[in-house]
Amino acid sequence: MHFQKLSLKFVLILTSLAAYLVPVSAASTGENALIVGANIGNVPWEFQDTAGELIGFEIDLVNEVAKRLDRAIEVINIPFNGLFSAVQSSRIDIAISSITITEQRLASVSFAQPYYDSDQSLTIRSDSSIQSINDLQDEVVAVDTGSTGDIWASENQQQYGFKEIRRYEGLAPAALDLQIGRVAGYISDIPAMQYYTKDKPELKVVERIDTGGSYSMMFRKDDELALSVNEIITNLKQEGFVNELHNKWFGVLAEETTSTAKVTAMPGVKAGLLLNFMDTFLNKAVFVETLPMLLLGLTTTLKLGLVSIVLGLFFGLLLALIRLYAPAIARVTAKIYINVFRSIPLLVLLIVIFYALPFVGISLSPFTAAATALIIVSSAYTAEIFRSGIEAIPKGQFEASQALGLSFVHMMKDVILPQATRIVIPSLTNNSINVIKDTALASVVAMPDLLKQATQAQAIAANPTPLIAAAGIYLLVLLPMVLAVSHLEKKYSKRNQ
Amino acid sequence: MDSLIQLKNVSKHYGKFMALRYVNLDVAEGEVVSVIGPSGSGKSTLIRCINLLEHYDDSGKITVNGTVVRKGADLKNVRANVGMVFQNFNLFPHMTILENVKLAPMRVGEISTEAATKRALRLLDNVGISDQADKYPGQLSGGQQQRVAIARALAMKPKILLFDEPTSALDPEMVGEVLNVIRKLAGQGVTMIIVTHEMGFARQVSDRIVFMDAGQVVESGTPADIFDGAKEPRTLTFLKNVLEQ
Ligand SMILES: Nc1ncnc2c1ncn2[C@@H]1O[C@H](COP(=O)(O)OP(=O)(O)O)[C@@H](O)[C@H]1O
Ligand SMILES: [Mg+2]
Repeated sequence: MHFQKLSLKFVLILTSLAAYLVPVSAASTGENALIVGANIGNVPWEFQDTAGELIGFEIDLVNEVAKRLDRAIEVINIPFNGLFSAVQSSRIDIAISSITITEQRLASVSFAQPYYDSDQSLTIRSDSSIQSINDLQDEVVAVDTGSTGDIWASENQQQYGFKEIRRYEGLAPAALDLQIGRVAGYISDIPAMQYYTKDKPELKVVERIDTGGSYSMMFRKDDELALSVNEIITNLKQEGFVNELHNKWFGVLAEETTSTAKVTAMPGVKAGLLLNFMDTFLNKAVFVETLPMLLLGLTTTLKLGLVSIVLGLFFGLLLALIRLYAPAIARVTAKIYINVFRSIPLLVLLIVIFYALPFVGISLSPFTAAATALIIVSSAYTAEIFRSGIEAIPKGQFEASQALGLSFVHMMKDVILPQATRIVIPSLTNNSINVIKDTALASVVAMPDLLKQATQAQAIAANPTPLIAAAGIYLLVLLPMVLAVSHLEKKYSKRNQ
Repeated sequence: MDSLIQLKNVSKHYGKFMALRYVNLDVAEGEVVSVIGPSGSGKSTLIRCINLLEHYDDSGKITVNGTVVRKGADLKNVRANVGMVFQNFNLFPHMTILENVKLAPMRVGEISTEAATKRALRLLDNVGISDQADKYPGQLSGGQQQRVAIARALAMKPKILLFDEPTSALDPEMVGEVLNVIRKLAGQGVTMIIVTHEMGFARQVSDRIVFMDAGQVVESGTPADIFDGAKEPRTLTFLKNVLEQ
């Protein structure tokens, strides 16, 4: 009974995670279609109904805007923190996702007039003893990467004594970790959380956090389109269309004083950056400001990479030896392990370990989960590498060792493995490079690795410079390793000539 | 007199193929036996069964120094008593000459590094290459490598040495230096079984010659018995072919 309920819940959660991982796009129409980027799953603004149809407050609004512009529309699913670079690079024309208008963002992007006044909120498990932000001393809190909640939690971490701020790429995984108990509270936009918890008695919104802030559609900086859309929104407010949407999605009309009902000015273009290429992608001020965050992320990435590489090597060697020399049953098991884990995408494994294992009572921290997944996969690859190395050693080396009376352990340790390792060092180094690159996937389990820190920084600054800087840092770390592999391969092939 | 090595009714199957057929052989302590015969006759298989590099059929029995040669705890004793020299030397390429020779005494004999080094240097001196101790096998000529391999095989102070065509992989000008080392060992009373195609050497150094064909011991006797008075037609044909070359 209990298990059935859990597994049903698990399936539901996996489906919602799948929605987050797999981009959905509405039917594309025409060449001149408006491309709209949205973080699908952000209820009640943009999400899918049970039939897979895109619905929500902002979907309705942007559809009406497009209609009045006499243009078709195509919606692309982009994680929240990817929306900023998407408008800046003109990959999309409009971004929607209950994006809060901030001074900092206005320096890099444009917004139409707001149509919803929001606050942040604290959501907890219904059976939790936490009743307000003040109870979160020494607790882990969840936020959406780079969101207003993230900005607020980061600014107030000291004051409230949060033990850790864990950053997620959307509502579903954050809410799931709240349910599992890996985080004590979730700080996010109040309308979304009120809507989301409506039919979920196990979660409860307990506090409104007065951050203020209003949502609007976001555009590339100084895009003409922003002006046209702004005008249409003025009309839609005057016609009462926007407030009708409020009624449709929240069950009540908004008060006359709110931006949902009242026509407001378009947010002023801040005296900010001239958005040429350099200022957008290689902004020095943003770089200097966000570098400490990135370096913090780098240490996490290196720590995770190192632990995974070392343990992956150890278990890989063990597996290779089992695969080659153990009794038949163990040999077959090792072979199955090696083949299975070389076939499973790391990301899938990571999500299963992080989000599925808690349902059988194993709840791992983001670091442990990420390291476990990396070690499992890396050991499967290194096992094959070691095996090929051992099999490349001439039979005579084994026979000479045996004839001398060396034990199996000494034969391996003193004779075979030193030679086999030398042969496979280029492959092992290659594998290590892959492990370090794969640490970036740990972002999905709220690990503050280099990539995560960079996405957070670029969402807060609404500028992609931190991502470019992160790419540079990855390059600085990995390029020497890549060059070392080439060097070793050349040296080795020379020696074999 | 008790035999140091005893093979009783030893056979070896590779699937359905019989590489050894009911071989009986006794080797006394201090005896030098050369095994001759055409290629594929089972010479290597025979000596590789003695230190269990190959497993022989259950129907037969091999004893070395009173210990039955089978998989198990006693195999250690057998291998400690039996050194082997291979056609292709099989030195460990990642270790220096000295380390090659020291390895077994340190790991199996568990003697100290100093004692192992001393022993290794003495053995290398005996085979005439102590001055190359710090080089790697790849830096030595074939003849030098094979002499190192002999020193390595002697490092565990075995009672028995097995040679599997020790000069077949060597350039002709290096054959002599290796045979001289083996000859010297024969003179020191080490028990040896030597698989070889060097007939002159076999005749000179051996107490006994064993002729094999098709997995069987066809004929055996003193060098004079075999080289001058072989009775079996197969032996005569083989010797005729070899001497014609
Ligand atoms: N691992 C093996 N599998 C199958 N047949 C083998 C194997 N090793 C040797 N043989 C066969 O056993 C016979 C004897 O081989 P071997 O002892 O090497 O002969 P020799 O050393 O006298 O040339 C040959 O016919 C050879 O093909
Ligand atoms: Mg042979």
